[in-house]
Amino acid sequence: MTLLKLDNLKVHFPIRGGFFRRVVDHVKAVDGVSFELQQGETYGLVGESGSGKSTTGKAVVKLNEVTSGQILFEGRDLASLSRREIKPFRKDIQMIFQDPYSSLNPKKRVLDIIAEPLRNFERLSPSEEKKIVQDFLDKVGLSPESIHKYPHEFSGGQRQRIGIARSLTLKPKLIIADEPVSALDVSVQAQVLNFLQDLQQEFNLTYLFVGHDLGVIRHMCDRMGVMYRGRLVEEGKSEEIYENPQHIYTKRLIAAIPDLEPEVREDKVQLRKKLTSEYESTYSKYFDENGRAYDLKPISSTHRVALQ
Amino acid sequence: MEMKVETGKNIQVNDVSPSGIKIIWQEIKKDKLAMGSLIILAAILLFVYGASFFMDAKEIAKVDFLSIYLEPSSDYWLGTDYGGRDVFGQLIIGTRNSFTISLFITLFTAIIGLSLGLLAGYFGGATDNVIMRVIDFVIALPQLMFIIVVVTIVPIFNVYVFILIMTMFLWTGKARLIRSKALSERELDYIHASQTLGTPHWKIILFQLLPNVSSLIIVNFILNLAGNIGLESSLTFLGFGLPESTPSLGTLISYARNPDVLENKWWIWVPASLMILVLMLSINFVGQALKRAADARQRRG
Repeated sequence: MTLLKLDNLKVHFPIRGGFFRRVVDHVKAVDGVSFELQQGETYGLVGESGSGKSTTGKAVVKLNEVTSGQILFEGRDLASLSRREIKPFRKDIQMIFQDPYSSLNPKKRVLDIIAEPLRNFERLSPSEEKKIVQDFLDKVGLSPESIHKYPHEFSGGQRQRIGIARSLTLKPKLIIADEPVSALDVSVQAQVLNFLQDLQQEFNLTYLFVGHDLGVIRHMCDRMGVMYRGRLVEEGKSEEIYENPQHIYTKRLIAAIPDLEPEVREDKVQLRKKLTSEYESTYSKYFDENGRAYDLKPISSTHRVALQ
Repeated sequence: MEMKVETGKNIQVNDVSPSGIKIIWQEIKKDKLAMGSLIILAAILLFVYGASFFMDAKEIAKVDFLSIYLEPSSDYWLGTDYGGRDVFGQLIIGTRNSFTISLFITLFTAIIGLSLGLLAGYFGGATDNVIMRVIDFVIALPQLMFIIVVVTIVPIFNVYVFILIMTMFLWTGKARLIRSKALSERELDYIHASQTLGTPHWKIILFQLLPNVSSLIIVNFILNLAGNIGLESSLTFLGFGLPESTPSLGTLISYARNPDVLENKWWIWVPASLMILVLMLSINFVGQALKRAADARQRRG
């Protein structure tokens, strides 16, 4: 079942300049992105910084204004809804933020932070509310006594889990995870990632996982899309993309993953050199004269690549 | 078994991080100057407000030609002025008036500046533009001219009119300060998080944004309080403040415009000047301690 479908989504930011601050140009942060998320899967969006992956995620929760295109969630177009009309959907779509240090209000206790969505959507007595918050704290592996603490009393990983608990309280269907582990150190990363997978099983969640760490995306995602300059250049099952990348950008991206084996280091260097020359000679096959990637074309039933 | 539960509870109580008021109190306790200032300030204010309660303002403002320019004595602790009025009584009532004026001006400017600053900072864009242009307009007005005009045309010039006119001009600085802080706060993820959690704008502003600018507000409030005492006095001294029927620290000091008073009758203007100095300094010292308390890196305690 398709839960979320992006159809030719565009998010453009105006560049103002000159006299009277007229709009002189646009930054095309997201420029025609289309993909689908099935119920219960994890879809990864990867790309270098500035490629528009976070903007895409934020557009789904309306943190960014959509310029054109559709965001279909269970068949309803979120892009055309006003802030008031979108409120019921907030319950179903939640977001986990990248930076656990700024995503929790430093002046609020954990209880108030996690209960915020509950207070917006449900009428609960303080004791019921406290019980739910403690249940979720327990689920994310924090002691239920921590409800009276402030965010600064926790480590980064613990804070991120508080953020995750907050996004779970309304039992959403879709969670946008915007680089949820990139601010954490590696040992905690694995912990949080495995924990996200456990929660997915338990609550039948669908993740839109935004990230730049290819290892993390491979570990987490069933399907993934590679973004470059606001466009999807390749989309398919994770193994297809890792084992059989078709677009030159994807190839170079995969080749850039560091290898721990010292013996293959020389091979890797050669491979990267080869890809660089291939990139230069076949550039026009992948990008048009403006440097924009072509539209995606299916090369198998699950694998789509932006080719001429 | 029961013992165990009890110890658990105790730990929990100790784990609760110190509240804002506790941090402020600790900071003041660490700073002897601030502590002393606080005690002096509290003593003066308690005495002034307490004593003025038992004093008859009309009686003090009554002119008595038989006792003009008396030196301090047991009857008149601080002597009398050119109308034979008791300077000590005027000092008490004047301090009360000056401080009340300063307090209300600070309070009203804080309320206006806070609400407009938060709105401009949180919403940004067009809202911000409109509010900032209004602020620019108010700043561009010649303040002193306006005050002089209002003082001349208002039929009854009293404390309330004075508070109103000063508030009209002084809220802009606060609004700008709060706006700049709100602008930087709204870019942080916790505000975005609240938005995705479906919290309405007014709730985000009041319960998420406001607590995070509160330290700035408190510090600014205290420092402004000190500044506004001087403000009233200087305007009165220039002759555009309160009439003599409402004694204030400014009216007492303005008697010193008469060279004879300045040279020979120190008891009229020295106490009021000292009072302003002590009040402003002690409020400032307390304010400095609060400023440090608001910024974790500057804290001493």
